[in-house]
Amino acid sequence: MDFNYLWSVVRMILLEGVGKTLLLFAVVIVISIPLGFLVTLLSKCRVPPLRWIANAYIFIMRGTPLLLQLVFIFYGFPIIGNSLASAFHMEFFRDLFQLERMNAAFLGFSLNYAAYFAEIFRGGLLAIDKGQYEAAKVLGFSKPATTMRIIFPQMIRVALPSVANETITLIKDTSLLYAVAIQETINVAQSIVNRDSNILPLVVAAAVYLVLVFILTIFFKWLESKFNHDKPKKGRKKRLASPEQSL
Amino acid sequence: MNMIEVKGLKKSFGSLTVLDGVDFSVNKGDVVAVIGSSGSGKSTMLRCLIDLERASGGTIEIQGNPLVKDGVYVPEAQRKKAISKMGMVFQHFNLFPHMTVRQNLELAPKVVQKLDKEQIRRDSEEQLAKVGLSDKADEYPANLSGGQQQRVAIARALMMKPDILLFDEPTSALDPELTGGVLEAIRQLAEEHMTMMIVTHEMNFAKNVAHQVLFMDSGKILEQGPPQEIFENPKAARTKEFLSTISK
Repeated sequence: MDFNYLWSVVRMILLEGVGKTLLLFAVVIVISIPLGFLVTLLSKCRVPPLRWIANAYIFIMRGTPLLLQLVFIFYGFPIIGNSLASAFHMEFFRDLFQLERMNAAFLGFSLNYAAYFAEIFRGGLLAIDKGQYEAAKVLGFSKPATTMRIIFPQMIRVALPSVANETITLIKDTSLLYAVAIQETINVAQSIVNRDSNILPLVVAAAVYLVLVFILTIFFKWLESKFNHDKPKKGRKKRLASPEQSL
Repeated sequence: MNMIEVKGLKKSFGSLTVLDGVDFSVNKGDVVAVIGSSGSGKSTMLRCLIDLERASGGTIEIQGNPLVKDGVYVPEAQRKKAISKMGMVFQHFNLFPHMTVRQNLELAPKVVQKLDKEQIRRDSEEQLAKVGLSDKADEYPANLSGGQQQRVAIARALMMKPDILLFDEPTSALDPELTGGVLEAIRQLAEEHMTMMIVTHEMNFAKNVAHQVLFMDSGKILEQGPPQEIFENPKAARTKEFLSTISK
């Protein structure tokens, strides 16, 4: 085994590929989770048209492939922009719809993942007992206070395992960056494979993904333990209530 | 002025009539036990009083403030005001599972009443001591027994300094040996002259603690009076039948 060769492959993948992967991941998480919350709230809203918009959004984003959405945003938007610009004689449409590759990816991924997160959060809301809303109401909490203080924290707890799942999927989905011709981890690995006729770079790429997913897994395990109040805290045995104590 | 005044209360779910013209009033300091078989409308009636369930007709007044008048509800702000001095304890406790016992007690005074922090802390310690759970302040509800959870729920309701407390089958979800502490806490409140309505299947408790007993059947109050009268000398045949089945 040639360690010098291995090292050069690792370096190339880390320097040229992983950066874009991580950048996309970070931006998409930061945008899509709050956006998902917002869509969940809209889909629960009392104004029917807002509900329809939220549901249509989720239907379209989940109903079409992410790859298609990326291609549409990067290659299709400029065409729409041109038509709008000439139709309204406003040049700014041309620039508005002509997105940089990475910005197109940020937009496409964020819109797509927000739809999935919205559904996850909606599922989390469904799991909350209606007694929680009733207790909040008889204690006099306003609707916003009920949502923020009582419902959201419980919803997040229920949603966390699914959010973790979706986040891990996102790490791997970043390889779709090739659709807008951006060099990311797999892309870089593949070009080395072609150059050197050696499959080692693919193994290195796999290891990179495994390490990233491992870190995420640990992080979400820790987060879940923070939100889990069903079990006694570590280091303290659950005291079995003796009859006189619990009366 | 009566604490609770109900006239001609009606409630139906679709074609199913749950409450079919209920009239009663509750005086200050009264403890009213509501008894009757499952499905007789006891819980629905109680839930209508605190605006958790929509009445289809009739009038409800709480401390002189109307909640619904001849089937027409007052605007939301007035409804909130009408029920603001009323607390409720649920069959399934409904504690907030993501908060400690202390946080469960202190959240509403902090967020809703915006009271002073130190005042709230004094209150919560006092209420926990009253239900004998001072040592559980930092536990999460999941680590408590059902009986302890229900006592926390009572303490939480008392934090809002209610004039009226409603109990919806407070011991029905508990193991029999855990009901004692909860009933004791309610009995103590009765001694302090708290106005209370308790939907319950605990006949002995109703007999010993209540000033008034309402017997409900098929959405109506079939009989009401002091416990001696209802339990020793029931007039309606249905009441007799219910009491004899219960005592078996």
